[in-house]
Amino acid sequence: MVLPLRLLLATLLVALALGAPSEQGLIFNLDTGELCLQSAQCKSGCCQRDSGLSLARCSPKAAETQDCSLKSLYGVYYKCPCESGLSCDADWTIVGSITNTDYGVCYDKRDPTTSR
Amino acid sequence: LLYIWSNNPFLGSSSEVCYDRLGCFTDDIPWSGTAERPIYRLPWSPEKIDAQFFLHTKENGNSYQVRTNVRMLTVEDVNCIAVSWKKGARCQYTQASNNVRVVGAEIAYFVNVLDQYSYSPANVHIIGHSLGAHVAGEAGKRRPGIGRITGLDPAQPYFQDTPIEVRLDKSDAEFVDVIHTDTAPTIPNLGSSLLDTCCLFFFCYGNIALPTKDLLSAALVSIHLFTGTKDFVACNHLRSYKYYSDSIVYPDGFLGYACGSYDAFKVSCFPCPSGGCPNMGHYADKFKGKTSDSFVKLYLNTAEAKDFPLWRYQVSVKLSGSTKVTGYVNIALYGDDGNTRQHQIFQGSLKPDNTYTAFVDAEHKVGKVTKVKFLWNNSVLNPTLPKLGAATVTVQFGETGEV
Repeated sequence: MVLPLRLLLATLLVALALGAPSEQGLIFNLDTGELCLQSAQCKSGCCQRDSGLSLARCSPKAAETQDCSLKSLYGVYYKCPCESGLSCDADWTIVGSITNTDYGVCYDKRDPTTSR
Repeated sequence: LLYIWSNNPFLGSSSEVCYDRLGCFTDDIPWSGTAERPIYRLPWSPEKIDAQFFLHTKENGNSYQVRTNVRMLTVEDVNCIAVSWKKGARCQYTQASNNVRVVGAEIAYFVNVLDQYSYSPANVHIIGHSLGAHVAGEAGKRRPGIGRITGLDPAQPYFQDTPIEVRLDKSDAEFVDVIHTDTAPTIPNLGSSLLDTCCLFFFCYGNIALPTKDLLSAALVSIHLFTGTKDFVACNHLRSYKYYSDSIVYPDGFLGYACGSYDAFKVSCFPCPSGGCPNMGHYADKFKGKTSDSFVKLYLNTAEAKDFPLWRYQVSVKLSGSTKVTGYVNIALYGDDGNTRQHQIFQGSLKPDNTYTAFVDAEHKVGKVTKVKFLWNNSVLNPTLPKLGAATVTVQFGETGEV
């Protein structure tokens, strides 16, 4: 009885290992440079395009002192939101949120040396 | 013009063709009939191959085909000559790899003509991609004393394991450097470059697992659909000249670390020795000890999309805190010349007082490091709200070894 149980456990573990998310995805878990429709598809969490007519690709999020935009519901950005721990110093405006152009610069709230 | 040819390419009774200016070409061993080159082929005539030389200079910088040429003119005043032999290359692979000999002879002939204008071959630098790398090798073999040959991912089939007179090799020029981006075996991986050529060897991104893109993204990688499809077919193979092109603009962004293998490079071979690391690409000839050792393997990582240079740092983080948590640690570097993104140092079980070390290939050279920022997050929700900090963070820059 013990042996089949162990066998079952082993196959389960193997199945889990095989089923683990792969490095590269086709629809989700996309690498930088791959085409995307939504930020949720990207590993980096940002689906970015340069203009309204260009194709969107996964890009890294904005580092400190880089340009950024506020998180939007569109899920596609002209400028990526900031990395975790950082804030985008843009002001929220109605027009900006509709046209997806609430731009700013990433800064660290808790860092006394960088003032807004 | 003398022309003797056994019609069946597999029969291979040794035959020979001779052309004015360039001399004779046989299909004897080692050119054909060996295990590496089983099919007998003679190179086509120079007229049929129709090699053309396109000159670009600073005065006449109209950009024709080769981007590298134009970029080079932004940093120095040179005569850039693009050698086109497309008629000789758009044919069966076995034929094209023999046409290489005629094109190499044409270049050697041209260098000889320059010699009559008392222009030393030491001033000549031949850059060849794929089959073109062996064209450069052939030219160098025929005209000794050429200053430098750069092989960008030399083609593998019909050249790997052949004698040095057939392929690119360190004896073909005073200084030979090779960039490998695609060294997986041809079958089954369709890799197409050559392993054991010579001198300074650069392996980018572990040479096999180059970041490739999925089918659609690769096909549409730029607005130019043509370059897109090119990338899809030969993404890895074509990376080599893109790196070279970028290296012209970023002289210190492609340092090669001497190491035994890529796996060793991922954990050690850091920082550069006191003499410095060789630069991959355009500035490889600046490496001081360049001809002291005949065979140096150098490894480096490059970025996955455009603007390929990366600057390698080693970062060690000693954690402080009270409880063990599961999560990840990110570090961002700040210096005189800007700051980097957050780079993951470690992921898994984080124990206070443990030290975690990792290499960071940063997308910016930050200059003198003035501060670092530390950020961690847990992978699962933890209602006890644990706190974690970094007691010490050590950063070592690969180029100078500075801590």
